[in-house]
Amino acid sequence: MLLALAWKNIWRNKKRSLIILTAIALGLWAGLFSVAISMGVWEATVNATIDRNLSHIQIHTKEFKEEKLISNYIPDGNSILDQIRKDGRIKEVSGRVLIEGMASSPTSSGGVNIVGVNPDRESIVTTISNYIKEGTFFETNKRNPIVVGQKLADKLGLKLGSKIVLTFQNVDTTLTYAAFRIVGIFKTESSIFDQLHLFVNKSDLYPIMESKPIISEIAIRLNSSEELDSVYSTITQKHSSLMAETWKQLAPELEFTYEMLILELEIFLGIILAALLFGITNTMLMSVMDRVREFGVLMAVGMKRIRVFFLILIETFVLSIFGGIIGMGLGAITVWYLSDKGIDLSIFAEGLNAWGMPTQMYPMLPIYFYFVLVIMIIVTAIIAAIYPSIKTIKLRPAEAIRTY
Amino acid sequence: MALIEVKQVSKIYNDNSIPVAALNEVTLNIEKEEFTAIVGPSGSGKTTLLNMIGGLDQPTTGTIIINDTDISTYRTDEMINFRLQNIGFVFQAYNLIPVFTARENVEFIMLLQKISKEEREHRAIELLKAVDLEDKIHKKPTELSGGQQQRVAVARALASKPSFVLADEPTANLDSVTANNLLDLMEKLNEENKMTFVFSTHDSRVIERAHRVVTLRDGRIDSDIKQNELVAEQK
Repeated sequence: MLLALAWKNIWRNKKRSLIILTAIALGLWAGLFSVAISMGVWEATVNATIDRNLSHIQIHTKEFKEEKLISNYIPDGNSILDQIRKDGRIKEVSGRVLIEGMASSPTSSGGVNIVGVNPDRESIVTTISNYIKEGTFFETNKRNPIVVGQKLADKLGLKLGSKIVLTFQNVDTTLTYAAFRIVGIFKTESSIFDQLHLFVNKSDLYPIMESKPIISEIAIRLNSSEELDSVYSTITQKHSSLMAETWKQLAPELEFTYEMLILELEIFLGIILAALLFGITNTMLMSVMDRVREFGVLMAVGMKRIRVFFLILIETFVLSIFGGIIGMGLGAITVWYLSDKGIDLSIFAEGLNAWGMPTQMYPMLPIYFYFVLVIMIIVTAIIAAIYPSIKTIKLRPAEAIRTY
Repeated sequence: MALIEVKQVSKIYNDNSIPVAALNEVTLNIEKEEFTAIVGPSGSGKTTLLNMIGGLDQPTTGTIIINDTDISTYRTDEMINFRLQNIGFVFQAYNLIPVFTARENVEFIMLLQKISKEEREHRAIELLKAVDLEDKIHKKPTELSGGQQQRVAVARALASKPSFVLADEPTANLDSVTANNLLDLMEKLNEENKMTFVFSTHDSRVIERAHRVVTLRDGRIDSDIKQNELVAEQK
């Protein structure tokens, strides 16, 4: 009956209860939606980074990690590549030749990272081939084809079919150079990546370098990101002389950003709930002040103070949880709908691309966030109820009945 | 042994730092089955005395003994429990719980006494029948007249099977017919159920029906006359 009384009391002043319910629901909806957008942006940034070039796991020699010289290639790299490819958890493996060099056009030049790839394998390991805006990703019979980023092409004043000269170190540390013909121009979410990276067919590099088929990087794409830790563990055990790193180690800023993001979002939700706390307390205080005589009568006829305390606690709790459920429900529906449709942020493309972020964003919210929020609402409700409850149980029945 | 013993009770309020004596060494015994009215002009101390007897307020000095128990020493929650088990209240403004129906209002007191649901429902309906409201058991207070609300309040006061009922100005907000009907009901409960009633009132209709009239003036008992003495006095 205490619960029934609390429920009926909530609806005594429908307008007041609906206002605070709406405030709670809207506050939580807005909070959840903002959190989902932030998480979606982070998720998209991580996925874009993995898909673009990072892959799930990379393997190098320890020397290469210290000094990115082609001479620090992976010994017997191609046979290691074949071994790893046999693992059923792995979707595809790409052996890359990485060289830091100089790209020159008739009008300009600049430092670049030359990435020698097997185009067919690379197209499976990364989605770089999907970012081609002009031309193709090595679908050509031309000699020494090269795929460059839009930003680099603009900087060097190049276009599709233009010639570009690459200067770089050989395995024996002597300098060499070669001319390549642009067959594709890509544009990713990251303008920095587009300016610094260019792709060539690694089989074209070997004769220029006068080298046997070597590789300096093995990029691994998994069937499922859930397998990341187990595959990483297998590789580090089997190839202990090499240095394997997951995307989290390769891009620690992304992991750090995630931890900071979670902290920021929890603080953000905390601020929303703190604001709601004052609203709920105010509403309950008004509700209690309207019923001072009634509480006086209840205590006069035999209702213990602890029961009065719980009555107000239940009223506050029910009001808050009810508003919370509506807000979370609305938030979940909105996130669910937009996680499929996505939000087009192309009007902010320039700014987003500078940070390597995609322009199509899909809000997402981990399930555990809902649980965190439920706990936060419960704590908020309890805190909000304390002051009105204490104020009520301090009433003296005789005064409460006489005065109000 | 009297049901209610008020011994040398004084109540001094210190509002605005000026001591005001609402009751001044009042001594009064009320026996079981009495139908007593405490009367007096405004400010004479009748509500204060009723609050002291009901344990809603504590005396500054003196003791109040109910059923052989000195309630002046009780702590707040002990007092609340004592009221629940021993005292029924009827207030001037009815003070029913507005969101509850008539039956729920009566049942609520029994719920606080942890009486089973079946017994609560049965007794609530019986009590509402006794106050002629069997056709209004599902009505909320706002759907009842003043007289009907006050009868629900009487049923509520009796629901806990108290030792006595304290009624503070129970007829003040009622018209003559309704007031007389309510007094008939209370008199019937007094005679048939042997229920003790103590009223605070300045309503002549109540005074006429009371078996004993205690008059307060300036916080002291001015007179204490029983019905047979009243009748003799009128003759």
